[in-house]
Amino acid sequence: MTSRPTPPYALRAGALGKRFGRRGAWALRDCSFRLPAGRVCAVVGPNGAGKSTLLALAAGLTAPSEGAITVLGTDPASARARVGYVAQDKPLYPQLTVAETLRLGADLNPGHWEPSVAEAVVRAGELDPRARVRSLSGGQRTRVALALALGKRPDLLLLDEPMADLDPLARHELMGTLMAQAAQYGTTIAMSSHVVAELEDSCDHLLLVGGGRVRLAGEIDELIEAHARVSAPAESADLTGHTVVESRTTGRQLTALVRPGGPLPAEWRATPPALEELVLAYLRNPQAAPLTPAEPADEAGTAADATDRTGNATEAAA
Amino acid sequence: MTALTGGRTVTAPSAAPRAWGTARTVLRLHRTALLLWAAAVAGLSGWLVWLTLVTAPAERAAVDCGGEDFCDSTVPGFGFGFGTPVGWIGTLVAYAFLGVAAFAGGALIGREVESGTARLAWTQSVTPTRWLAAKLAVPALVIAGGATVLVLVFRWSWDAHPDLVFQEWSEAAAFLARGPATVAYALCALAVGTLTALLLRRALPALGVSVAAMALLNLALTRLRPSLWPEVHRTSATQVVPPEHAWVLAEGALVHGRPRTGVPYWNCGGVPAAVRRCLDDLGVTGSYASYHPQSHYWPLHLVETAIVLTVAALATAAAFTVVRHRRH
Repeated sequence: MTSRPTPPYALRAGALGKRFGRRGAWALRDCSFRLPAGRVCAVVGPNGAGKSTLLALAAGLTAPSEGAITVLGTDPASARARVGYVAQDKPLYPQLTVAETLRLGADLNPGHWEPSVAEAVVRAGELDPRARVRSLSGGQRTRVALALALGKRPDLLLLDEPMADLDPLARHELMGTLMAQAAQYGTTIAMSSHVVAELEDSCDHLLLVGGGRVRLAGEIDELIEAHARVSAPAESADLTGHTVVESRTTGRQLTALVRPGGPLPAEWRATPPALEELVLAYLRNPQAAPLTPAEPADEAGTAADATDRTGNATEAAA
Repeated sequence: MTALTGGRTVTAPSAAPRAWGTARTVLRLHRTALLLWAAAVAGLSGWLVWLTLVTAPAERAAVDCGGEDFCDSTVPGFGFGFGTPVGWIGTLVAYAFLGVAAFAGGALIGREVESGTARLAWTQSVTPTRWLAAKLAVPALVIAGGATVLVLVFRWSWDAHPDLVFQEWSEAAAFLARGPATVAYALCALAVGTLTALLLRRALPALGVSVAAMALLNLALTRLRPSLWPEVHRTSATQVVPPEHAWVLAEGALVHGRPRTGVPYWNCGGVPAAVRRCLDDLGVTGSYASYHPQSHYWPLHLVETAIVLTVAALATAAAFTVVRHRRH
């Protein structure tokens, strides 16, 4: 990890868990991570991995069954006014017009509302302010929902599958709006998707959720740096000492995705993995040891579980 | 990172505009229901005024009273033009709470929780508790105001032509529609509908259950109503004659001093001595009656109102507890 001074965190989770019902299955368990402020974070994982639950917990819409989550340095309820949230199904009041929906934003966010920001988002989509929400297409509704969240001028923006309904042009344009927002105001953005490619260009931080647990967390550059795709002759390759995420032997050739525990032998061919490759490798191998950043020494205790766990690494290779 | 804290002047709004913004949102969201309710109140009130000021006098004029004190009200059809519609309106006013229950369970809360718009509201700067407070307070004011107008106009119509009204004060609809119990039932329906919707989280089941719950509450209280205030119990060696308009709950013969039903004393006829002898043979020593005189209307009505308001308060408290502890 780099020696960057510890920035304030937009999100901090410690041993966070949520299950629905007293005996229900765990949607999220033992989830620890930290998202530094000002980052654009991709929350990635397959369907049903717990991404929506995580974002709902951060938005204060649901209470954790165990553990704790800190939002902008406080509890989710106290951070409410500074957090924007767009749910996966983009709920809006169908009986209101677009203009009335924005007026609702102004009325429900007194002292936090920036009409020009919201109106600009709506105008960019060439939406008629007098159109009823029920008459809008899925993509247009997404735009109105984003306008509502951005008009609040949040410090933290939580977006659950924000781009799913959008055509490529609108996706590009709205992503640009979000990035401009992040750059101009230092807004932290956490957006979920199950399509990695959708977020790769815009995000600098990654949170990979799989099977209700955090598998990877950290700066994308650093995560990629920490891994290597290696290929070596099968008979001479000894992966001991490296954390193996995935390995495959084809003929006499071994290819593996590893977290090098030390310098790799010079005769091995090692290349940095692509982000999508990295994500897929972790999702394909649920037993691979997760990689989450170590807890800074001065803040130990609150999220002690967030340490880099290496243990059953070699088992993953078996 | 400096932009996170810098460059933002968050003015803390005072409580008044904050509350007003939330109230305005509730009004905007339920504009259709508000207009329907206003139209219903205006329509029914207008109809009552028309019946009272136009229909009833015309009906009287049609029966030739000829300036005499005595009006022959036995003319077939007399009063139907006034009494019948007033009866209908009384029923509509008395049972308007069922409509309120449907609205609260379905449109006001149920649809919001089901479609996720409640979550949209809760991720603005308004806490779920404050959202619920606005969702209850604004409709409560509108509903109570409208119901009060209806009750007052209905009372005025009823009192203007007592001889043309067919209903007794003790009949269920008229009993409710002539006092604050109408308002209490409507507010109770609002609270019960809200609670049901928050618990069931789906609009249609919540609508059905809240209407059924309010109908059951009303049914139970209608059954209990006679015992909500001590009735008058009278016995006499001769015939007990309850006062005019009394709500007679039971009457019959006393056999050896004890009230007994099913004694066929009405078969005794003939000359007084024969009647006397016949009654003696049956062991009849007198008669009894228990009833509520008309003066019991207000005590009965206010006790029922208090019970309904208590249920409303409990349901409201429960709804706030649900929102505070189980966020959807």
